[in-house]
Amino acid sequence: MIKKIEERRILYEHLDVPDINTFDVFRQYDGYTRFEKAIAEYQPDDIAKMVMDSGLKGRGGAGFSTGLKWSFVPKDIKPCYLCCNADESEPGTFSNRYVLEKNPHLLIEGILICCYAMGIETTYIYIRGEFTLGKKMLDAAIKEAYEKGYLGKDIRGTGLNVDIYSHPGAGAYICGEETGLIESLEGKRGQPRNKPPFPAVEGVFMKPTVVQNVETLCNLPFIVGNGVEWYTQMGPTYADTRSDPPTPDPNTGTKLYCISGDVNEPGVYELDLGLTCTELIEVAGGLRGEEVKAVIPGGSSAPILTHYELDTRLDFTSLTLAKSMLGSGGIIVMNETRNIVDCLLNIMKFYAHESCGQCTPCRWGTPWVRDIVQRIADGNGRKDTITRPKFGVAENGRWGDTGETEDIYEDLDLLESVANNIANVDTMTWNTICVFGIAVSWPAVSYLRKFRPEFEAAIREGKLVTLPVAEATVPPEENYAYQQRFIPKEFADL
Amino acid sequence: MALVKLNDLEVEVEDGTNVVEAARQHGIEVPHYCYHPGLTRPANCRMCLVEPHVFFPPAGAIVPDRQLATGCTTVLRTAPPDRKLDGKYDFIVYTDSPRVKKAREDILEFLLVHHPLDCPVCDQAGECDLQDYSYRHGSDKSRYLEVKNVPPKKDLGPDVLLYSTRCVVCTRCIRFCDEVAGSGELGLINRGSHDEIDIPRSHEGTPIQLLDNKLAGNVVDICPVGALISKDFLFKSRPWFMDKANSVCSGCSVGCNITVEYKADGVYRLKPRFHEDINQHWMCDDGRLGYHYVNSDDRLQLPLKRVDDELTPTHWADALTVIQEQLSEVTAEDIVVIGSAQATNEDNYVLQQFAHDVLQTTQLGLFGQLPGEAHKFPQFTIEADKNPNTAGARTILGSANGNVVLEDEALWEKVSNAKVVYLVSGAPERPLEDAEKAALESVEFLIVQDVLPSEVTQLADVVLPGTTFAEKDGTFTNSTGWVQRIRKTIDPPGEARVDWEITQQLAKQLGGEMNYHFAGEIALAITENVPGYADATHQNIGDAGIKLT
Ligand SMILES: Cc1cc2nc3c(=O)[nH]c(=O)nc-3n(C[C@H](O)[C@H](O)[C@H](O)COP(=O)(O)O)c2cc1C
Ligand code: SF4
Ligand code: SF4
Ligand code: SF4
Ligand code: FES
Repeated sequence: MIKKIEERRILYEHLDVPDINTFDVFRQYDGYTRFEKAIAEYQPDDIAKMVMDSGLKGRGGAGFSTGLKWSFVPKDIKPCYLCCNADESEPGTFSNRYVLEKNPHLLIEGILICCYAMGIETTYIYIRGEFTLGKKMLDAAIKEAYEKGYLGKDIRGTGLNVDIYSHPGAGAYICGEETGLIESLEGKRGQPRNKPPFPAVEGVFMKPTVVQNVETLCNLPFIVGNGVEWYTQMGPTYADTRSDPPTPDPNTGTKLYCISGDVNEPGVYELDLGLTCTELIEVAGGLRGEEVKAVIPGGSSAPILTHYELDTRLDFTSLTLAKSMLGSGGIIVMNETRNIVDCLLNIMKFYAHESCGQCTPCRWGTPWVRDIVQRIADGNGRKDTITRPKFGVAENGRWGDTGETEDIYEDLDLLESVANNIANVDTMTWNTICVFGIAVSWPAVSYLRKFRPEFEAAIREGKLVTLPVAEATVPPEENYAYQQRFIPKEFADL
Repeated sequence: MALVKLNDLEVEVEDGTNVVEAARQHGIEVPHYCYHPGLTRPANCRMCLVEPHVFFPPAGAIVPDRQLATGCTTVLRTAPPDRKLDGKYDFIVYTDSPRVKKAREDILEFLLVHHPLDCPVCDQAGECDLQDYSYRHGSDKSRYLEVKNVPPKKDLGPDVLLYSTRCVVCTRCIRFCDEVAGSGELGLINRGSHDEIDIPRSHEGTPIQLLDNKLAGNVVDICPVGALISKDFLFKSRPWFMDKANSVCSGCSVGCNITVEYKADGVYRLKPRFHEDINQHWMCDDGRLGYHYVNSDDRLQLPLKRVDDELTPTHWADALTVIQEQLSEVTAEDIVVIGSAQATNEDNYVLQQFAHDVLQTTQLGLFGQLPGEAHKFPQFTIEADKNPNTAGARTILGSANGNVVLEDEALWEKVSNAKVVYLVSGAPERPLEDAEKAALESVEFLIVQDVLPSEVTQLADVVLPGTTFAEKDGTFTNSTGWVQRIRKTIDPPGEARVDWEITQQLAKQLGGEMNYHFAGEIALAITENVPGYADATHQNIGDAGIKLT
């Protein structure tokens, strides 16, 4: 029996209040009081420290500590900019959108707090081009905030100046990557920059820039309003044992989980970090269908989880340990009717279309991966006529010769090799400019390794075959042992 | 200076050098496409990956960095004392580790997936970085079975064709147009694997702006593959069939360093050669495509003399005799000798020596191409003076005691009062104004030394066939005082001879004592007699030139 889990609505608390998008209604629900509190009670550095102590991690994808990011910004170089990343385009992710459409003043309040803490006077909101309603609502809110004196020069007599510009994207996923976003904002082709230098040092117009996701910024009013202690109660804090003594590894706060796919009540659910997959599916009205075949835990870039891994907690640390990621919190549930080859094809079509084309491995590798998967899905995958000794988990529990033989599926070897040549998922090394490369090879390699029988079946039968869940899935022990042999010794402990 | 462990070598490199250059200095190749020393570094081709080794505190040891780094953007600098590796190194980097080799092979595989592999018909074959690196670092087979992209071939401008299928999207050409030429004609269209280089076009595809700036030809040089091709050179020759000589462009007074590529039957193309203070890596299209007159069928091949008002071919002995007869009838005051800003310092030196010592005239003139337009680009300048050697000719013609070098109106004034004029031209395309023409027509006996029939040779009584920059050794002095060498590549056509040899022959005919055997010998005489040129021996000048002090 699973205990009933309640949503904990903080960012979304007043989302459904009629006219919350207007200043007056927002004000009735404590709007801008947290900002006023910040100015009245704290110095900028106090706010930065609170954010650091709160353990807030970026909600946009990388899950990087927000406080730490702020600490990299050089204090002596002005102007410094804030870039709000509202380009939400990761497949399966749709939480920022509701904030923009329904409660844009919350974002503005978060921006004001960030600007106060970092001494920033100019903010750009890079909003996905397709979000026409979101942009309309946001622009109206910005206008209102200017009229009410919460934006502009000398805000409410405090001497603080903040301007916000909203800038629509032109329809490219890669402009969600922070440096691609910056290039696009500057009016150039949306192509990510080489890092370092990171935006915190050289960002918009080569000035220090804080890039932050909408959801991340929306957390700020609550951290300031309710205090760090209140905030850190939500979500687990682990101990990072890689350092001696172990350091706390906070996964605090709530997360706007976007649940889609085969669940009865798909949608955005605001929950404490740290729930398991199973619990989350329950929250979303339970599974639609007989059994869970797979779960994508963090947007289409994240490595897939099998039914063996449903106890994985959906927070930054747990998913990283499970060799996946929380990413954008876009969770896609698949039931037994889904064909994994087909799913991979769908995702690879997306990535092949969205590669910015700047660097060689991604430009030409991504469509190649797509084409191989397409070929397999079309029933034209290649299988060799000879067999080879089968390697697997041998008697000693390690990877080795099992004494049996196996068929050689050339195209599966090729698929794995090409994907790993774009970005190697075993060593976590990539030869690309941005991590789009790993966003391509992660799904490709994880789908293949974890659901290899289904790929083999497609080649063998010459058409897509959806196997029963148990048959389609490679047990985790076998998969783990298989992965281990690719990790060079010198990396094992890094 | 930073102490770097480069593979198993221990080398010193200047602070600020990147790994690609540091390796090159020590004879190690780090393959690269997007990096060009004259342009910014986007690090987009990922070909130059190298393996830095870093100190990893938990292990207390120096280990290979987790990520490979791009050698083009990895800059070597002296590390603070507490950050030295192994107690002394500022940086440790491997360019030949197994990981690096694998990464290179992988990148090359990606570069070739859509490539048509049409080396047999590609102009670049033999000097193609894709071909060379594939041989040296690539795999011998392809695993790609899918359909290849076939983007269209494009005509980008007057001299540049784009074979899009061969493009590796390194963006060198785009950056060149943005940064050096400043006119930004090129850009990328489409996205991802459909990236194509293009010029601005209307929706119907008609060009709005052609790649027609005066530096456009450089994009062909810097294109590491056979994607950008010069129409002028297309299908003319395989690079390995041509000989090469280091020389200097004769198109204007900048004096760009060039390589002349030639075969026995003519000059095939000119390519810029790096010179830090003069042209960096570039040259202009006027210079680049200005060599065609060398190969012209109209080149003067035999001496000509006027018989019944017609210029008729004759042989050297006859031509020289005719000149000797005429000269013996006039006094020194009636003779004007005119040198050329197109000719070498050596040509002009022998000429002034002939005038001063043999004819005993101090009346000299300077002839050359008319000034054209100057063009200024963000990182390059084309000079208005279209002669390679105005500065040198002026100094050298005037170097002997009492010599006066007349130019422009003063010269033509003098010419109109002269009886015999010996004009070394080398600028056959120069139009003559009416006054100039009248002055030359008034001369009783006009000797013209040139390479092609021209307005001046039309008026001549004797025409002597001289040589172009491609057919002789010598030196030019550019507008900023650099003395640089040109080198003989092909033989002059027919009976044409090197200009100073003609002058020396004439001197001998008149009983003068002059016995130079090669241009370097004349340069030695120049070092002794021309102020400022004391160090300008051919040996000292070498390939880099020397700057006059
Ligand atoms: C390919 C790619 C796409 C991304 N798309 C988005 C996006 O749509 N929205 C977003 O907030 N972050 C996106 N990111 C993450 C950003 O690069 C960046 O980490 C984030 O905006 C930082 O904000 P945060 O620290 O508040 O999460 C993307 C990253 C990559 C590599
Ligand atoms: S990895 Fe892909 S998306 Fe990122 S810069 Fe390279 S080509 Fe562009
Ligand atoms: S670009 Fe290079 S590899 Fe390609 S066809 Fe030409 S010579 Fe061959
Ligand atoms: S045309 Fe040549 S220089 Fe330009 S991007 Fe392509 S390969 Fe590079
Ligand atoms: S040369 Fe370094 S990445 Fe292209």
